[in-house]
Amino acid sequence: MTDARTLDGNAIGGLLLELFGVELTAAPCTCGGCGAREEVARLDVYVDCPGVVVRCRHCNNVMITIVRGPERTRVDLSGTRGLEL
Amino acid sequence: MRTLELDVEGWGGHRAGQHLDVRLTSEDGYQAERSYSIASAPGERLAITVELLENGEVSPYLVEDVRDGDVFEVRGPIGGYFVWNDDDPEPVLLVGGGSGVVPLVAMARERARVGGTAPMKLLYSSRNWDDVIYRGELETLGVEVVYTLTRQQPPGWTGYARRIDDDMLRDVAFAVDERPRVYVCGSTHFVDAAADGLVRLGYDPMWIRTERFGATG
Repeated sequence: MTDARTLDGNAIGGLLLELFGVELTAAPCTCGGCGAREEVARLDVYVDCPGVVVRCRHCNNVMITIVRGPERTRVDLSGTRGLEL
Repeated sequence: MRTLELDVEGWGGHRAGQHLDVRLTSEDGYQAERSYSIASAPGERLAITVELLENGEVSPYLVEDVRDGDVFEVRGPIGGYFVWNDDDPEPVLLVGGGSGVVPLVAMARERARVGGTAPMKLLYSSRNWDDVIYRGELETLGVEVVYTLTRQQPPGWTGYARRIDDDMLRDVAFAVDERPRVYVCGSTHFVDAAADGLVRLGYDPMWIRTERFGATG
């Protein structure tokens, strides 16, 4: 499933820092699909979609999507069971 | 390829391995943003090394156009995962492909700067000798550097001349019982090949920290 466009959570460290005000690449995040727990930096990230898509590296479940609009940014965390800060 | 020294107001320092984002805004408000690894060690003047990518939106400006005194927007430092602490005693294996070597060089520079004693080895994959960044300096950092030149080799080259594979990793990597820390940075295929190969050698995946580079510049 991994191809040349597949980046990792390091690539969105700046975006997450801007949105949440804290460093998140080292924060463990639990997949809502398979329950795997990995640091954000170890998740598969696609930035060439409309917005950003973060997938579990184990089961490919979409864990997080981030869509930036002109007025506001929409963060969908419904594919995650938890993010540890 | 160009190294830029940056003077960022309010910059609080960084850790070896971190990156920063550069954001350029055109007159009509269009914004382009890219990440660049920090090449300098903590405590040194902040520097990034930028590889020119044809048709890129940011790298042509940074490599060809920007002049002393120009101002652009920077966000960072970024990253708490792909970082090396200089008081960490474990051996360190650095595996870099192309410009993926930049954050690894920051780690090697940091080790040299603080007189670190953790054994450190760099396996550096480059297309050819001319593309090797920081040539000359790398030999002075007290780090064992092993090159592989994947496309073209200078006359008389005796080093590796192929893409990273399991045999090469077995030759170069620390023994499993040394429980090394590993940092791998490069393109997605490079990073996955190196990390998967090390796991096949018996490395614990938790020892291996990776950072994949995108191909947009």
